[in-house]
Amino acid sequence: MPKGSIFKPELIFIFLLMLLGLVIMIVSIGYGFGSFRRPGPGLYPFFVALIIITSSIILLAVGLKSKGSEPLFNRRTLNIFLMMFVTFILWIIAMPFLGYVLVTFAATYCFCKVMRLEGWMKPLALSAGTALFIYLLFDYWLYIDLPRGILG
Amino acid sequence: MEFWGDREETNVTGWDLLLQGFVNSLSLVNLLACFIGALIGTIVGVLPGLGPTATMALMLPFTLRYGPETGLIMMAGVWFGSQYGGSTTSILVNIPGEAASVVTCIDGYQMAKKGRAGAALAVVAMGSFIAGTAGIIGLQFFAPILGGAALKFGPPEYLAFMIFAFVLLSNLSGDSPMKGFLMIGLGLFISSIGINPLDSYPRFTFGSNKLMLGIEFLPIAMGFFGISEILVIALETYAPPLIEKLRLRELYPNRDEMRRSIGPTWRGSVLGFFCGLLPGPCTVISTFISWSLEKRLSKTPEEFGKGAVEGVVGPESANNSAVMGSMIPLLTLGIPFAAPSAVMLAGLRMHNVEPGPLLFSTRPDIFWTFVAAMYIGNFMLLVLNLPLVGFFGRIATIRPQILMPFISVICLVGVYSFRNSIFDVWVMIFAGVIGYILRKWKFPIAPLIIGVVLGPMTENSVRQTLMMFKGNMGLIVDRPIAVTFLSLAAAYIVYKILSFCLSKKTQE
Repeated sequence: MPKGSIFKPELIFIFLLMLLGLVIMIVSIGYGFGSFRRPGPGLYPFFVALIIITSSIILLAVGLKSKGSEPLFNRRTLNIFLMMFVTFILWIIAMPFLGYVLVTFAATYCFCKVMRLEGWMKPLALSAGTALFIYLLFDYWLYIDLPRGILG
Repeated sequence: MEFWGDREETNVTGWDLLLQGFVNSLSLVNLLACFIGALIGTIVGVLPGLGPTATMALMLPFTLRYGPETGLIMMAGVWFGSQYGGSTTSILVNIPGEAASVVTCIDGYQMAKKGRAGAALAVVAMGSFIAGTAGIIGLQFFAPILGGAALKFGPPEYLAFMIFAFVLLSNLSGDSPMKGFLMIGLGLFISSIGINPLDSYPRFTFGSNKLMLGIEFLPIAMGFFGISEILVIALETYAPPLIEKLRLRELYPNRDEMRRSIGPTWRGSVLGFFCGLLPGPCTVISTFISWSLEKRLSKTPEEFGKGAVEGVVGPESANNSAVMGSMIPLLTLGIPFAAPSAVMLAGLRMHNVEPGPLLFSTRPDIFWTFVAAMYIGNFMLLVLNLPLVGFFGRIATIRPQILMPFISVICLVGVYSFRNSIFDVWVMIFAGVIGYILRKWKFPIAPLIIGVVLGPMTENSVRQTLMMFKGNMGLIVDRPIAVTFLSLAAAYIVYKILSFCLSKKTQE
């Protein structure tokens, strides 16, 4: 990354945080400050936004002079990250319909394969063991009623 | 039983309360909580990657079934146990199980290479036990005294103290104080989402009913500490560690090693305890200071880095004592100075227990049961760690490909089960992805979590102080305690700016 470039990913991230600070500030002005004697609901978030904006601006100024930061991903890690992320999302979407035992079994298997646990026997055994453990922990020990889905 | 009632009315001494604490902590459920916490903590300390904060957050939903003291005991057991366990992998494989054991690698692994791994582990276990006990004694004596003093704290004092804590926190963690401030700001913002209890005004909900109740601490903590750690570990290339083989008879340190361990153990105990009173990653800082101190005091400083027993036992004693020291601000003021104590505070709040100066008069049972359980837990850890060192060493070889899928689904089901809310799981995953980015670019996560926990208290203090002073903040000069904290914060900022300018000049 060339020194002084404004297109460093870390700087873009800080810039987005600064924008978030601006949004908080604008929205909190809408809530009303009240007076210092009787503060309104917008006063405190306004000061919080000030902290976020000020520190972001200083970090942006310092970051422009420094050399580029470590990239978040390379091709290999991006693939793993995306597959992990998709597995998490699929668990969230499927769990209420298919039930936590089945989805946990499938998700554990996916995580094993994403993380390159070799073969199919080990991932299968680990998935079955994890699903059983979670069933015993939540159902028998903690008595928590979780969606059972099609196994219900 | 009215035993825990007003101490002046019942003439109950601290020793009576401690005795009753022992009776309570010896109940089956508390003993089990202590044992499970200590065991899981040791395992977490042994395993590189997953830290005590993530584990404690992960265990929060499970503690809700029991009383607040049981939850507190279990979580403190995890934190305490992780300090014990962290040394095992540092000594045996040169991989710190968690951040507070990084320093132990320097001399611990060198001792292992000389065939003294067993002795190193034994002196560390003994040192950790002594330091842990010293820390608990310190907690037992200082916490009620400071709790009494903290009764004089009004909103201005709390506000000034939190400003002081935030200034120190932002400077002690991460590679830039501004990153710390930014994280505190984000944490304070997250805590302000939802209906404000002071005036029942919904803020930053954008019409969403889910956001009306605010964002729960648990998914935030699990996301930033648990999921982000899982992602970091999953994306790393795994190199299997080589573990030194140990036999039990090798665990006996020789007379010289024993003699050389006594001083560092006591110095580490005292130093760690006082480090625990400071905001920031106290356990980590205490180990670095202790190692430097031991090297400076040693007659043979050239041995440091080559397997000096003082360089192993001093830092390991310090981090155990620091855990207990950091309980003081949490229990006496209700202000957590480190990420694990922020999780503990959130856990106590889930039980409707608000730590602070009134805890000692309203719920002394929680404090004294906790103190007694820590004595027992410390002993349990000693008994667990010495004979089972080989077992814990083998645990360190478990591959992340086996461990991480299991932890991932525990996080998912654990967070969902807390309120049967899919929204919480979305929050956790979102926080996990953001947490991964923050970790990669070295933004400290602890100030963010502490900001989330302290947000409501900070807002209350700001608004109450303004109302108390009728809008004139200048009146704070009439409050000597508040002025002291604000002056300390200002002095620290000036010191940091001056040292930054001086170091820049030296570089030029």
